[in-house]
Amino acid sequence: MAAIRIATLARRVILQLLADRRTLALILIVPILVLTIAGALIRLEPQGVRVAVVLDDTGVTLSVGSRGAVNLGERLVAGLSGLNAHLAIERMEPDTAAALLEAGEIDAIVRLPADFSAQAVRTRSLTIPVVYEGSNPAVARLLGPLLTRAAIQAIASLSVIDTESVPEIVLDATYRYGSAEFDQLDYLAPVLIGLFVFMFVFILTCVSFLRERLAGTLERLQATAIRHYEIILGYMLGFAVFALVQALVILLFTIYGLRVHTVGSLATVFVVELLLALLAVNLGVFLSTFARNEFQVVQFVPLVVLLTAFLSGALWPIEAMPVWLKPLAWLMPLTYANFALRDVMIKGFGLVDIGPYLLALAGFAVLFVLIASLVIRRQAVS
Amino acid sequence: MEPYAVEVNNLHKRFGHIHALRGLSVQIERGITYGLLGPNGAGKTTLIRAIVGLLRPDAGTVRVLGHPMPDKRLMARIGYMTQNIALYEDLTVRQNLAFFAAMAGVVSRARQQIDEVLALVELSDRADSRVRELSGGLQRRCSLACALVHRPALVVLDEPTVGVDPQLRVQFWEHFHRLNAEGVTLIVSSHVMDEAARCHRLGFLRDGELLAEGSAVDLLERSGCATLEDAFLHFAEQVAAVS
Repeated sequence: MAAIRIATLARRVILQLLADRRTLALILIVPILVLTIAGALIRLEPQGVRVAVVLDDTGVTLSVGSRGAVNLGERLVAGLSGLNAHLAIERMEPDTAAALLEAGEIDAIVRLPADFSAQAVRTRSLTIPVVYEGSNPAVARLLGPLLTRAAIQAIASLSVIDTESVPEIVLDATYRYGSAEFDQLDYLAPVLIGLFVFMFVFILTCVSFLRERLAGTLERLQATAIRHYEIILGYMLGFAVFALVQALVILLFTIYGLRVHTVGSLATVFVVELLLALLAVNLGVFLSTFARNEFQVVQFVPLVVLLTAFLSGALWPIEAMPVWLKPLAWLMPLTYANFALRDVMIKGFGLVDIGPYLLALAGFAVLFVLIASLVIRRQAVS
Repeated sequence: MEPYAVEVNNLHKRFGHIHALRGLSVQIERGITYGLLGPNGAGKTTLIRAIVGLLRPDAGTVRVLGHPMPDKRLMARIGYMTQNIALYEDLTVRQNLAFFAAMAGVVSRARQQIDEVLALVELSDRADSRVRELSGGLQRRCSLACALVHRPALVVLDEPTVGVDPQLRVQFWEHFHRLNAEGVTLIVSSHVMDEAARCHRLGFLRDGELLAEGSAVDLLERSGCATLEDAFLHFAEQVAAVS
């Protein structure tokens, strides 16, 4: 008897699921979609690190042996070029290099002064000045050891400074943004703050709006004098209160609990979070109208959250994405929030500097309000 | 003032291949209780949704209190009780009432009107209970109160007495007639024939069409039947014979 009951129950579950085509499609399509994109991203070649070299080294003439003029700087650069496939070394004028670093086009500048070789011979030590752009700590971790290796090779090629004493090699690193203390979490924290705010607000609205619809209260509400956009704005305002508190808690915990470094103003970070939360409310309302039951709405969550996390440049840089994924990345509202949050927290940018990103976020918010209003209007009066 | 609270003219509505309303016309006078009777699937709820402005008909017109629907300004003067309870379960009875009162623009006089309607449905002592904690019958009373709290001129009740015990049902009908006396028009849908006798006028609905209309006495006389149930079947057969 037990077997029959179990089989009957299993049959009922299967029949129910088969009858719910949308859930069925979600079960099958969401994983394929998410895996396709994750696969493409995970296979990404590590992004190239672009380093500018300003080579002012005039070399030094050695009196010992028959070597004559030696330029340690040139040897160092030549050695560095061949060390790692992901490292692109370009010689530049100081002004060009500085401008490119400011624009975030290059990751570091190695500047070898005129007396680089002379200094090395005189002091028996090699000091290499490096300026890092600083918003990605991975660059310093890659470049630092490579520079040391190249320096050792360059020195070893000179018999004058040979095995009797290994000269000291000093990397004199400075950071345009951030500092040597910035670790991976500092780099990730801004995007995690954005992602969490977006995710929690989205889930909250999506589910509660579905409840409103399933309970029949939405129908009742729509039979009153309230207009559709008023419903959307009311929802937005109501959830904004919670989103506000949540955004504040996430922010304060990140900064004071996790001791994540931030250079910029917390108020500016908060403005970005707030815009993101408002936008997530409307996305939640909009998407929940496509769900007929809790089953379906729960499946929207990984779809939206995972795709957003993958494609917004939070985990993988957009520049390195395959061509077919790049347009999708720019369609993700979180992409703009990520740029804004990184600029504020790592580079210390102000509201005006991140203006374009804020405009984009506000644009998305308005767009979602309009779409959500239209969608519930269509649902109300059928 | 228009003599009719509701005028429905040649209303058509299709949902896919289902023809829910087939050129239905009906006029409902002010200050009466009009009963929409018919089996499940007859088109009662579709007609009701068109009257309260939640349905865009494929053809035909609906006028409520002299104005074409849907009209948001008019919706504040309509009270609508849906078939299911449709309340915010996490909120208290009073909070639900205040919410729906505000939706109809009743704010300053809200407290007084809420107290009155609570007394009317005999829920005053449970005003601060959460809806979730109430029994099914009490929830239904609260739902009715939400449809009445803003003192609408037209009250539309979709199967208000389903799952309501006989005693409460009697109370509901007393309320309805009291409202009529104040000039309020009520439209009540039901598939229970014994309730029909309490309405001033009845419309027999089947397959999206109005089979017959009139007072209970009138319908019994015209059909020559002893009960409204038999009268309904009589008119249904008559229509079937014609078509």
